[in-house]
Amino acid sequence: MAKISFRQALNDALRLEMARDPRVIMMGEDLTGGAGGNGVKDAWGGAFGVTRGLLGEFGPERIRDTPISETAFIGAAAGAALTGMRPVAELMFVDFAGVCLDQIVNQIAKFRYMFGGRARTPLVIRATYGAGTRSAAQHTQAFYPIFTHFPGLKVVIPSNPYDAKGLLLQAMRDDDPVIFLENKMLYDTMGEVPDGSYTVPFGEAKVVRDGKDVMIVAIGRMVKIAEEAARKLQSDGISACVIDPRTTSPLDEDTLIEFAEEIGRVVIVDEATPRCGMAADISAMLADKCFDSLRAPIKMVTAPHTPVPYAPNLEDLYVPNADAVIKAVKSIIER
Amino acid sequence: MSIEAVTIPKWGMTMTEGIVSDWLVAEGDEVSRGQEIIEVESTKTTNAVESAASGILRRIVVEAGETAPVGALVGVIADASASDEDIDAFIASFAGASGAEEEEDSNAASIKTVDVGNGAVVNVLTLGAESDSNVVLLHGFGGDVSTWLFNQDAFAQKHRVVAVDLPGHGASSPTQGSDVFPSLVASIERALEISAPGKLHLVAHSFGGAVAAAIAAHQPERVASITLIAPVGLGKVINKEFLDDFITAERRKPLKDVLERLLADPSKISNDMIEGTLRFKRLEGVPEALAAIRDTIVDGDGQRHSITETLANFAGPVALIWGGKDKIVPLPDGSQIPSNAKFSVIEDAGHMPQMEASSEVNSIVLDNISKSL
Repeated sequence: MAKISFRQALNDALRLEMARDPRVIMMGEDLTGGAGGNGVKDAWGGAFGVTRGLLGEFGPERIRDTPISETAFIGAAAGAALTGMRPVAELMFVDFAGVCLDQIVNQIAKFRYMFGGRARTPLVIRATYGAGTRSAAQHTQAFYPIFTHFPGLKVVIPSNPYDAKGLLLQAMRDDDPVIFLENKMLYDTMGEVPDGSYTVPFGEAKVVRDGKDVMIVAIGRMVKIAEEAARKLQSDGISACVIDPRTTSPLDEDTLIEFAEEIGRVVIVDEATPRCGMAADISAMLADKCFDSLRAPIKMVTAPHTPVPYAPNLEDLYVPNADAVIKAVKSIIER
Repeated sequence: MSIEAVTIPKWGMTMTEGIVSDWLVAEGDEVSRGQEIIEVESTKTTNAVESAASGILRRIVVEAGETAPVGALVGVIADASASDEDIDAFIASFAGASGAEEEEDSNAASIKTVDVGNGAVVNVLTLGAESDSNVVLLHGFGGDVSTWLFNQDAFAQKHRVVAVDLPGHGASSPTQGSDVFPSLVASIERALEISAPGKLHLVAHSFGGAVAAAIAAHQPERVASITLIAPVGLGKVINKEFLDDFITAERRKPLKDVLERLLADPSKISNDMIEGTLRFKRLEGVPEALAAIRDTIVDGDGQRHSITETLANFAGPVALIWGGKDKIVPLPDGSQIPSNAKFSVIEDAGHMPQMEASSEVNSIVLDNISKSL
């Protein structure tokens, strides 16, 4: 089995599914690689290199650059999905969702419900999220709690190359709209990924690491941070289990409850800001469903309630790190 | 007076170090050969290590909770006649020897896919240099080469080891055509022609037992010994529900329930084992391939394979190993056991004694092989 990057795993998923299903089309800004100099197309495969090579393989009928208007192309993707295509639209930065929120929230998320189950919207919106790239407050946010809030959307946040490929293939085969969020800091991470097609089901958390003293729930890039913390905690004699929900909607409540009840101590790591975030959401659910099994307060490790700073030293402080996770674990481990 | 080292074992290619998660005996305790004395945790799994010698645990070198590289000395077993100075000297000399060990790695495992024709490949793991005799490991339904994690290195101390992923499993291609079992056996035979020239000591688990018997029937002159662990093909009864549930389980929890039936102690099923099995089962075409293989194993009347005659006619040594708590292929009754076979039951093991009682299985296998040499 080959070790490939998170970026390549996504590229493989798009290529395999476009080859398998002619209804899969792609639209977005600079998707075809950007015209670059001298009119060269497919030069670098989009802003983050994910779609490289697809224009040459599938042609401009199926993979298309749009004008710089999310309002327009997300709306167009919704219409294409309703009429039988399976579009994959790319928001270069999830921060731009503001100008197409009506399309996403009032249209795409509602079609199946408001048309009495007779309309399907098999649409994937891929978008990057997350801090760490020195891109300032308008290109670095972790918007997944917002989408998780709306019924009618599925929200997928892969943490590693294997899951990225399997979840994206599942997203493209799903008959409901899927918001697929890629952390920019994960694109170069490597992992073993099978060559062929496979799907990872939604609503199925992954037990990343077994442990018996504390359960650390982590999402997206935070899974790596949680694993790093767990390794360091091991040398202090603390055995930490790491759980990656993989999708925040649907959320695998059963697995989270099962492990919370068994272990009794919970730390949740979330790159989003703390108010109405995933950490708060999961914490409330566990407090409600398994309060009697908890041996200590649930601890949340999140970004602070501020915009993402542009100053590099402050941006580094902003994102939760392993030390913050270790501190949270140690604050509840004696109880 | 003999002084014996307790070391960190190597379970699989990627293991470089292990954590001594627990000492099951204390310094000064009497230990006997085969007794579980430490629990070692790798990044993939946790398992007990059994003592290779009888005596007294004279010294704990690596305490519980500490990490040490593969092969490192973690404890010393000797009888009472050894002095503390002898033990100190042994520890000092071991430190020097283990540093040198890192360089020689002739037993290192290598894994590669072998072309068996028609575009199909068989994934082959080998340990040790080319030899005119090979220990061939054949896993069971739904398994792969990692079935032998706790056995391959013990066999490789004395023999060249060749383990394969059966077609439709691991990194091997699916079976082709409607003649599923004959084509599966042909692919393995072709892979062994290429990877294991010379004599074959077949060691097989469960469904792999039917494959081993087919190979022995086709080329009796090449097969030097047969050791089968809970094989299919001796009786008619088999837990078909296990095979069905294994194929249909798509998520962690249901698959965990299925895998737990394999062991006498279900707590030994780690989340890594579940995740690894899920990854295999998610691949396109795998559930269909598994269903086709299941249909060669069992039909409405029970087991379809019969290997009794092949074993009875086999000229070399035959050994059968069963876990006393096997919930998949029940223990055969006396009339079903060929008279030339040495039959061993390991009481506290389920369907996978090679994992649950690895040292005991390893010594039975090595003993059976040595009878043919």
